[in-house]
Amino acid sequence: MKPMVVVTNVSKTFRRYHPDRPATIQEAVAKGLRRMRSVERFWGLRDVSFTIGAGKAVGIIGANGSGKSTLLRLIGGVGRPDSGRIDVHGTLGALLDLGAGFHPDLTGRENAILAGILNGLTRRKVLERLDSIVAFAEVEKALDNPIRTFSSGMQMRLAFSVAVHTEPDILLIDEVLSVGDIAFQRKCLDRIAQFKAAGCSILLVSHEGSMVQDLCDEAVWLSGGRLMAQGGATDVVRQYAAHMGVGDPLLTEAKIEDESSYPAASPPPPTVRTTHGEVPLNEQRFGSMELTIGAVRVLDAAGQPVAEVESGEAIQIEIDYAATARIVAPIFCARILREDGVVCYDVSTQDSTLSLSTIEGPGRIALHIDRLDLNSGRYVLDVGCYAQDWAYAYDYHVAECSLVVRGDGRREAVLNAPHRWEIKGGTAPRVVTPAELDVRSSS
Amino acid sequence: MTLRASTVSWRSFERWAQVRDLIRELIARDIKLRYRGSLLGIAWTLLNPLAELLVLLFVFGTVLRLDVPNFGAYLFTGLLVYGWFQTSLNFATGAIVGNRELVRRPGVPSVILPIVTVASNLVHFVLSLPILFGLLMVSGIHLTSAVLALPLLIAIQFVLTAGLAYPVAAIHVWFRDTQHVLRVVLQLLFYVTPIFYEASSVPAGLQPIYRLNPMAHLVDAYRAVLLRGELPNPRSLLFLTLVSFAALLVGLMWFRRAADRFADEL
Repeated sequence: MKPMVVVTNVSKTFRRYHPDRPATIQEAVAKGLRRMRSVERFWGLRDVSFTIGAGKAVGIIGANGSGKSTLLRLIGGVGRPDSGRIDVHGTLGALLDLGAGFHPDLTGRENAILAGILNGLTRRKVLERLDSIVAFAEVEKALDNPIRTFSSGMQMRLAFSVAVHTEPDILLIDEVLSVGDIAFQRKCLDRIAQFKAAGCSILLVSHEGSMVQDLCDEAVWLSGGRLMAQGGATDVVRQYAAHMGVGDPLLTEAKIEDESSYPAASPPPPTVRTTHGEVPLNEQRFGSMELTIGAVRVLDAAGQPVAEVESGEAIQIEIDYAATARIVAPIFCARILREDGVVCYDVSTQDSTLSLSTIEGPGRIALHIDRLDLNSGRYVLDVGCYAQDWAYAYDYHVAECSLVVRGDGRREAVLNAPHRWEIKGGTAPRVVTPAELDVRSSS
Repeated sequence: MTLRASTVSWRSFERWAQVRDLIRELIARDIKLRYRGSLLGIAWTLLNPLAELLVLLFVFGTVLRLDVPNFGAYLFTGLLVYGWFQTSLNFATGAIVGNRELVRRPGVPSVILPIVTVASNLVHFVLSLPILFGLLMVSGIHLTSAVLALPLLIAIQFVLTAGLAYPVAAIHVWFRDTQHVLRVVLQLLFYVTPIFYEASSVPAGLQPIYRLNPMAHLVDAYRAVLLRGELPNPRSLLFLTLVSFAALLVGLMWFRRAADRFADEL
C-alpha cells in the first residue's frame, strides 16, 4: 500500500533579522531598506525524510524548538519548505491549538459551524452532525451563548468534538492532549484510537515520550531540526529519553522506571557487530556505530578495577573504543547517575582541555576524577561518544557499569564534599560540657 | 480507472464546496461581529455615509454652492462607491495579521482572506443601495435599463479592490504602520476622485494625469448608469477592466509568494 505522507529531504530555514530592522514603513524610509534583509538564517528543519504508511500512527518527538511543529505545519500545507518535497495523499484533519480559532463574541453554535468548515466539512455536513458534535462535547445547554461565557474546558471539548466529527485520511495532532482534565484526555485518547482502528493515519507531535509510546507505531526523533532517529516508537522514545536525561520532568519519571531494571553488576559488553547505519536499538545502547565503545572499566587510584570505592577517593574510568572510519572531533562523555535517575555528574571532552582532532581504529580513553565526592549509595555509569558538535551519537551505553560508593551513609544528599565548620563572629565560642547540656534541656 | 477518476473529482468538488462555505461563513462572521452588541446594528452601515452626505451637502451645496445638478444623489453615489473601496482596503490590513489562527491552520488557504474582507464590505455596499435608489427617486431620476450594467461595475470594482487588498494585506504583515500610511493615501485619493465635484472641472492640462486614477473612471461609470441612465463610456470601461485585472494578477502573484512566510512572521 502506498504511503499517505512522504516527506523527502525537507529543509526549512528561518530568518533572523537585524535588531534595528525597521518594523514600520516610517522607519524603513528613514533607515533605508538595507536592514530589511535577514542577517542570518538558521535551520528549522534540515534534510528530514520519512513516510507515514496507510493506517500507521507516527509520533514526532523532540525538545522545544526541535522543529516538530514546523514539520507538522509544513505537512498541513502551511508555509513551504525551502527544499525537498512533501507529498500528501488524502484529506487532512487537524487537532491543533484546540479552540484557538474560536471567536469569543460568537455563540457556541456559530463557532462550532465555522470550526466544522475549517476542519474540512461542508456547511451542510456540519449542520447534519451538529447534534452529535454538541452531545459529544456535552455543551447542549450553553450552545447559544457567546463562547466567552464557556469555561476553557467546555471550549476545548467543543473544539475537539468538532475536529473528531470528520473523516480525515490523515490526522495531525499537536500536543493538544496535554491540556484538559483527565476524563477529557481519556475521551480524546479513546477517540483517537477509534480513528486509528478505522484506518486513519495519524501524525502526533509531542515532547512527551509516554504519549508517543502509547499511541504510535513508529516515531521520529528531531533535534535542532535534524532527524536523529526513526523506527519503532518504543525504541526511538527510549533513545530520546536517554539523550534528554533530566531536562524534562516527565522524562525523568520515565527514566526512573527504566532504572529499576538496571542490573546490579555491569553487563557483559555488547557483542553485536553492526555495519554503519544499522542501529542495534535497545534501552541500554544506541548510536550510529561508526565508533563503538567496547569495555568500560572503573579503576581505583592504583589502576586496579574496582566495583566499590570510598567516598572522596580518586577514580579513573577507562573506555575502549574502535572507530570503523576516520572520525573528526568526536566528543566522549560520561555521566554518573544515582539509582533514582538523578544525574550527579556529567562531563565531556568538550568541556576539557583535551581536544580530540581525528581518531581512527581501536583506542582507549580514560577519565580521571580526582575526588569522587559522592555520598554513599549505588550509582550507575553512562558513557558515550558523539559526533562533532553533539550532532548525533556514535555509541551510547546506558548504565554501562554500576558503582557502589561507601561512606557515612545516613544523609540523603548527593554531594559529600570535604568540609569543616568555623565560627566567625557572634558570641565567643565556649566549650559546653555534656552535663550543662543536660541541665538546659531539662529546665 | 474510472472509479479512481471519479473519486478524485468528487474530492475536489467537495473541496470547492468546502472553500465556498468557508468564505461564506467568514463573511457572515465579519458582518455579525461588526454589529453584534451595537444598539443600531446594521443601521450603522447606512449612518456613516449618510452623515458624510449631510456634511458635504452643507459645505459644497449650501456654503460653497458647487453647481452640480442633483447634487445629493450625485454625491451619495460617489460616497458609497468610494466608501466600499476605502473600507475594504482599510480592513484588508487586518486580513492576515488579524487572522493569525486561520493563517497558521492547515486547510485554510490564506488567499481567501482578503477576498472575505472585500466581500463583507460588498455586503454593506449592497445593503445601502436601497437608500441610494430612494434618493434617486426623490430627486426625480428615473432608472433606465442601463442599470442592468450595475452588476458588471460591481464586479469590476470587486476585482480592482481585491487586486489592491492583496498587497496591502501582505505588506501589513511586515510593516505594521501600513494602515496609517494607507489611511493618508486613501484620504488623498478621495480628493482626486470626482466625488463632490465634477471631473470636467479639472483643468484640461491636468486631465491626462487625473484620468489615470481608476476610481475616477469607476465613480463616473456608476453615475452614468444610475444618474444619467446611459451605458458607461466604453473606453473608460476597457481601461478599468484592464487595470483591475492587471492589479489582481500582480497583487495575487505577489501575495502568493509572500504567503509562504506568513506563518513564520506572525
